Amino acid sequence: MSLAEIRARLMGDKAVIYPGPYLNQLRGESIEDQCQELLAAGVRRIVINFAETELINSIGISILLGVIESVNGAEASLVLSNLNASNRELFEMLGLMSHVEMADTEEEALKTTPDVDLVQFAG
Amino acid sequence: MTTANPPRQILSRLADEDFAGRESELDRLDSLARTDAQARSTVLRSNGLLLGAPRVGKTEILRKFFDRLFSEGGEVLPFYYALPRSCVDQEKFARDYFSRFLAQFVAFRRDDPKLIEAADEPLAVIGRAAPAEDYLCVRSLIDSFTSALQSGDATALLRVALSAPGAAATHAGLEPLVLLDDAHHLAGTELHAELIRALGSGGASDRRKPIYVLTGLRRLVSNLIPPDQELFDRIDVIHAESLSNEVIERATRRRADLFGIDTTDSTIELIVQQLDCDSFYIKSILNAAASRGASLKTFIEFERLYYSELLNGRIGYYLDELMREVAPGAGEGRAMLEALALVIEAGSPVPIDAVTERIREHTPDSEGLLRRLHSREMLEVSYGFVAAPGDPVLTDYVRARYRGEVAGSPRPVAGDELLGEKLKHSYSVMMSRYNRGIESQLVELLSRFDFQSIPASLFDHVAYEKRYRGMGRVQVRRALDDEQERVRPPQIVHVHDLGDDEQPGVSWRLYAATGFEGGIYTEANEVLWLVALINSKEPLDVVTLGRIEQRLDAALRGQRAKSDRLSHVVRWYISKEGFSAVASERLASVYAWRSTYVHLDLIQDYLTRLALTGEPRPASEFELVIPIEDEAELIAARTAEQIARAADFSQEAINQIKTALIEACINAAEHSDSPDRKIHQRFAIDEDKLIITVSNKGKTFGRANGQATPALNARPKKGARGRGFQIIRALMDEVEFERTDDGARLVMTKYLKRPDTR
Repeated sequence: MSLAEIRARLMGDKAVIYPGPYLNQLRGESIEDQCQELLAAGVRRIVINFAETELINSIGISILLGVIESVNGAEASLVLSNLNASNRELFEMLGLMSHVEMADTEEEALKTTPDVDLVQFAG
Repeated sequence: MTTANPPRQILSRLADEDFAGRESELDRLDSLARTDAQARSTVLRSNGLLLGAPRVGKTEILRKFFDRLFSEGGEVLPFYYALPRSCVDQEKFARDYFSRFLAQFVAFRRDDPKLIEAADEPLAVIGRAAPAEDYLCVRSLIDSFTSALQSGDATALLRVALSAPGAAATHAGLEPLVLLDDAHHLAGTELHAELIRALGSGGASDRRKPIYVLTGLRRLVSNLIPPDQELFDRIDVIHAESLSNEVIERATRRRADLFGIDTTDSTIELIVQQLDCDSFYIKSILNAAASRGASLKTFIEFERLYYSELLNGRIGYYLDELMREVAPGAGEGRAMLEALALVIEAGSPVPIDAVTERIREHTPDSEGLLRRLHSREMLEVSYGFVAAPGDPVLTDYVRARYRGEVAGSPRPVAGDELLGEKLKHSYSVMMSRYNRGIESQLVELLSRFDFQSIPASLFDHVAYEKRYRGMGRVQVRRALDDEQERVRPPQIVHVHDLGDDEQPGVSWRLYAATGFEGGIYTEANEVLWLVALINSKEPLDVVTLGRIEQRLDAALRGQRAKSDRLSHVVRWYISKEGFSAVASERLASVYAWRSTYVHLDLIQDYLTRLALTGEPRPASEFELVIPIEDEAELIAARTAEQIARAADFSQEAINQIKTALIEACINAAEHSDSPDRKIHQRFAIDEDKLIITVSNKGKTFGRANGQATPALNARPKKGARGRGFQIIRALMDEVEFERTDDGARLVMTKYLKRPDTR
């Protein structure tokens, strides 16, 4: 299995993760690993920006549900942003909206968080 | 088939008005006889076997076909020949065959049917009747035949005779067709080998080789062809089916009117039913009534005439002759009567040893006798058992003869004891037609069961009443489409008749239908449907239901004794007039299906409609095969995107299609046992929709439970997984799961606009 590279931005105790064009099992597991690392590093607010994400499959969503549970369990917060209409419909259909905070844009999700250097993660 | 002029009645014995319901057989013969020039050069031409039960009308079909071809005067040169009972003398046969062909050829070329009768004249006389353009050809054929005759070589003579139709047709630029009737007389003769040689000879485009159509006693005729693959490749079997009740009744009524015989609708129906739709027996009765000036207005008038004809009339003479042919000696005759009586009175198959034991003292060749009875279809002989063929007239004949000639019962001075029995059963004979119709409808329906989605109310008369009470049939048919609750019947593999029974006012027949749920061929999916078809004048009461249940329980025990793995059993009760409240509750408590005859009709209509409204083949199709590998589903999604975009789908719809397709691919991969590790996809664009079919081999898209479209993944991981099918259903307009013999497929349809907004 090839490694799925996931782009992320770290800003103090906040971070933004970019799942890429297709959220499947591989990328879902990378995001899961990354979130664990971020939480361990003291990050308390994680934004997942779906602006580039064109497709999401049910395995990716099931892993995302696990991520939501673990972030909530660590007394941190998770925000999903920039969802296109199709992905939003999919999340609504599967009942994700009631478990996680949504924002239209990354800025809105981060609110006053200042920009920091881009960090490359590998899952 | 097309004929410019109405066919003349030349060899056929029935007027066209009396020859109905045979278009299918004639069409098959027609396509066999006509091979266009292109096909001749590329395709091997076939010979034909016309097979059917004794007296079903095979001879008349051949004769009618001859008449049509003769009247048409087209490119096919027909020759009809009925083999004589004895074909042992090759020279005699060759002379007869040759002269009859020559007479028919000359008659055809002169378009003068009367010349056919010249077959018995000397060859020179027939030759002189040939038209000028054929004279030399006919003369040459006669010379060849005469020279072969003088040589004393019987085989050469036979070959000249058999090759005459081909040679004459070649001269005239026609296609030769030889219609051989009573071909069973060839069995065991030297002619047989020559005929097989003639059937097999000739290349693909050899116009000199005639096309042969053979008919006669089917069990002997089909044995004439040796197990030679090449020969069988060139044999087209045409089945002459029994004519329907309606066709026979119409013909009977017409003939009775023609003869001025007084009848009623009831007696016509009784005649047809009691004589088992057999045209020969019916004609015999009508001829007898006409010659005696007898009326057939009441049951007793018919039964009296019937018994008179059976014992001392045309039917009796025919059956006497048949018996003599099968068993010529007195000892064999007695043995035959013993065998027939034993099997008929048993009412079910009798072990063959019991039959041979019974007849051994009367004949040294019991096996030969049984074989001849089997060939004539007077008995059904298998390796282990002997059964009666179900010919009611033969049954009456055997009973009457056995009582008088073997059991020695004194004959009444007037009438017959059997007459009284017939009269007592005449009402049930009339009803048997109705019952048989419903029974064959049910068997046909069960055989069509194949995991279709059927509205559940058609299996539950209480739900049906609640939902559709007071609605017309047309309204019900429309409303059925909207029903959410569905039953998916198994794919039925075989249906067994478990027998019938009756009590005053109620009769029933039971069936065991075995199949596989979801069409998945595993022991776990094997299912038995026990079906009771109940004809009663009142709603079925609980006491009668109890009796039927006992019979079904006994049948189930029998089935379980055969297969101890049989765990899934469904009971389906179909009662003409429904069920009493108590009976209905009892059936509901044991989860049995409860239908009426009306529901049976509706289920049949529904399945027919499903079959007829199958998707028409779309204008363009694309196929894609992807390996089962990480992210290969993206290739499928990209392909779908391009196709959907070309078909003018909106971006939102395209995204939905892609997401659904990805889920379908994931499911196909998860549930596939395919050795090639591939997922097959077909994209079909129609005017207003895109149909995507995703197929895998091996298992299915999910476990089928026989009741509903199966869930795709039974064990969701962390919540959302396992909801792939839910996603597909939500994003596509129509989703159908279909099983295939080696896997399964999911058919997803997306409309350019949703159907309700179109």
